[in-house]
Order: sequence, then structure tokens, then C-alpha cells
Amino acid sequence: MAERAGHRGYIGARPLNGSRTPQHVQNIVIRDYARRKNLHYLLSAAEHTMPGSYMVLEDILDELPRLRGLILYSIFMLPPDEARRRKIYDRVLSEGCDLHAAVEEITLSSRDNIQAVEDILLVNKFATIL
Amino acid sequence: MTDTAFLEADEQALAQRFIDDGFVTTPADDRAGLDRIQRRAAELAADFLKLPHGNDPYAMLDTIHTRVSVDDLNGLRLHVFNGLNAEPWFRPTYFRLARSTIETIVGNELCMQRRVNLSIQLPGDDSSLLATHSDVWSGDSPFEVVVWVPLVDVHRTKSMYLLPPSLNGDMQDRMASLRSAEELYQTIKPHATFIEIPYGHVMLFNQTLMHGNRVNEEAGSRWSMNCRFKSIMSPYADKRFGEFFEPILLRPATRVGMQYKLPGGFHG
Repeated sequence: MAERAGHRGYIGARPLNGSRTPQHVQNIVIRDYARRKNLHYLLSAAEHTMPGSYMVLEDILDELPRLRGLILYSIFMLPPDEARRRKIYDRVLSEGCDLHAAVEEITLSSRDNIQAVEDILLVNKFATIL
Repeated sequence: MTDTAFLEADEQALAQRFIDDGFVTTPADDRAGLDRIQRRAAELAADFLKLPHGNDPYAMLDTIHTRVSVDDLNGLRLHVFNGLNAEPWFRPTYFRLARSTIETIVGNELCMQRRVNLSIQLPGDDSSLLATHSDVWSGDSPFEVVVWVPLVDVHRTKSMYLLPPSLNGDMQDRMASLRSAEELYQTIKPHATFIEIPYGHVMLFNQTLMHGNRVNEEAGSRWSMNCRFKSIMSPYADKRFGEFFEPILLRPATRVGMQYKLPGGFHG
């Protein structure tokens, strides 16, 4: 098998939890995370600004056989639908890859990590911020 | 009907080409400036590769695939990108390459992307592809245009492709039923046009149209730069004023207008 390339960055153009972060700042956060975790960072792909579009994420998932994994700027960039997220976890893990979220410093590298990620997303859905 | 138009005939023709085709290509307004950029890019590439500066920058760039591996390509690209953008003359020169076209298509009070991007595509390399996209989908304003400048001759897969304006709307309407950008490319593929641009020319294109690149299947390496321009007072999207764009041409009347305050202190 050919050598896998590294970890693809994934940034977004939509607000997250009501906040907007400039795309170049998202890249800085991912690059810094990759450096600290000793991951080989590959240039980020930016998700569409259209609500509900995950076409760019799907392209990265298609690329997984050539990657070691992906680094999301934030775990909250994952689709809101739980079933769709679980398919993403399955694809990442079955390809022998891992999934990272830079802001939250989350690594999903085995099925044991899934519930912790889902707990964060679920709490975020219901908890309010003052 | 009046016998005197607001626009000159050549401006009208250029504007119509842009509307109809989604792009215009023209000889660089400042050919010496383009040659200076090309020469500096070749010098920076030579520095990265620890080679002496040569006297044929075109050949150095076009055959870079004989000197650099895919693994080292992004390091080379970043070195040249940072080196060019660090030159104080670089962005003004880049603007001057296409100034007359930008002013006809966009206007004469302008802001410019803060960093000019650089792409290098080695023959056969699939590591630095841009999937089918419109810049607007990732946070650019539909009021922006892209000035795209090759540092070598580009044609077929050594260039970029663009979907014509007449088809873009229909294809956008079908997007939500597609899963990935690759599926989108397969849908638009029969209609996408690879744009041939000889070195010495520049292209200005409508970045709301779908575009991208594929694996370079030609003999030489592609080197191209791209940079966004927009009318300074037109609406911004996620690529904001200050953090992504900065003003380059602001006219005195606008400065006066922005500073003007009506007389105050009335109590009647």
C-alpha cells in the first residue's frame, strides 16, 4: 500500500454556535494543533457556506484511503444528524484513520471514543450559555 | 437613442465578454512587472532547492517537477508564496498586471486580497487539486472577481476549468441532490472549459461560476497565482474587510464623504 499522506484540515464558512472565526484563524488553530500532536498537516478544505451542505466533508471522507485522518477546526462542524455522524465515525475508523477536533482537543481513534464525542454534542444541543 | 455612450466601445466589449463567457484574458498591462514576478519566483524556488539562480526563469518553473518531489512540493510552494508576498513591490505589481481590466469590470475604488495565492501542479500529481467549487460557497462575496496569472503557458489540464455562465444556474439547482464535489465535477464535466492562457497574459474571471482543476496530464508544471479584487463599498461575505481584504484605491471624494459630519447643535 502506498504511504498515506497525513491529516487533512477541515474548516468552515458557517458560524459555529453563533460565533464566526475567520478561516485563516481556523487554519492557524489546526496547524498549531497538528504541530503539538506531531501530525502531518495537509492543506485544509473549506466547507460550503450553504446551510446543511457537507459536500466538502464527503470529499475528504472519499480521500481517507490516502490519508491518516482529518482534523476538524471544531467538533461542532459535524452534521447535526446523529445517524449521519455515526456513519462518518464508521468510515473514518474502518479506513484505519482517526478524527481530531482542534479547538476541543478531541481525538477519535477508536469506537471507545465515540460516546464521549456524542455526549459533548448532545449537551451542547440542550445546554444554554448565559 | 444617444450617439454618445458612457462607456468606450472597447470597455463595452470587454464587459460583454465577461458577462457572456465568465472570464476575459488579456495581455498583461505591465509585462516587465510580470517578468519580475516570474524571475523572483524562480529565484525563490532555486533558494529552496539550494540551486544557483539561473537565467531562464520560465524553464526553471516549467520543469520544476524534475527537481522536487511531491512530498517537498508544499514546502517549496510555501517558501515561494511567503517570499513573493514579503516583497513590498509584489502586490502593487500584481494589481498593475490587470489594472485596466479590473477597473473596467469591477470599478476604480478597490480592495485587494491581502496575500496573493500561489498554486503549483506537477504533472501527474493528485495532492494539490481544487475540487469543483465556486468561491462564494466558501465565504467569498459574489461581488468579487479573481485575477488569475500563470507564470508558464497553460492549456488543457495544466490550466483550470470554468463552467460557462449559461449553464451555471442549472447545475447549481442540481447540487443538493449530489453527495460530493467529485460527483458535481462528473455532472459538469461535459460542459467545463479548460482555459488556454499563454505566459504574458492574465485572466480575470467570475468566481461565482463553478471552477477547479484536475490532475495535470501535460508535460510541464503549472505555476499560477490568484488574487481577489472587489469594489470597496460592495457587500462583503465571510472574507471580511481588514482580515482578508485591504483597500488599495480609495478616492478623495469618498474620503471626504466618510469624514463629513452635518452641522449639529440645533435645539429648535
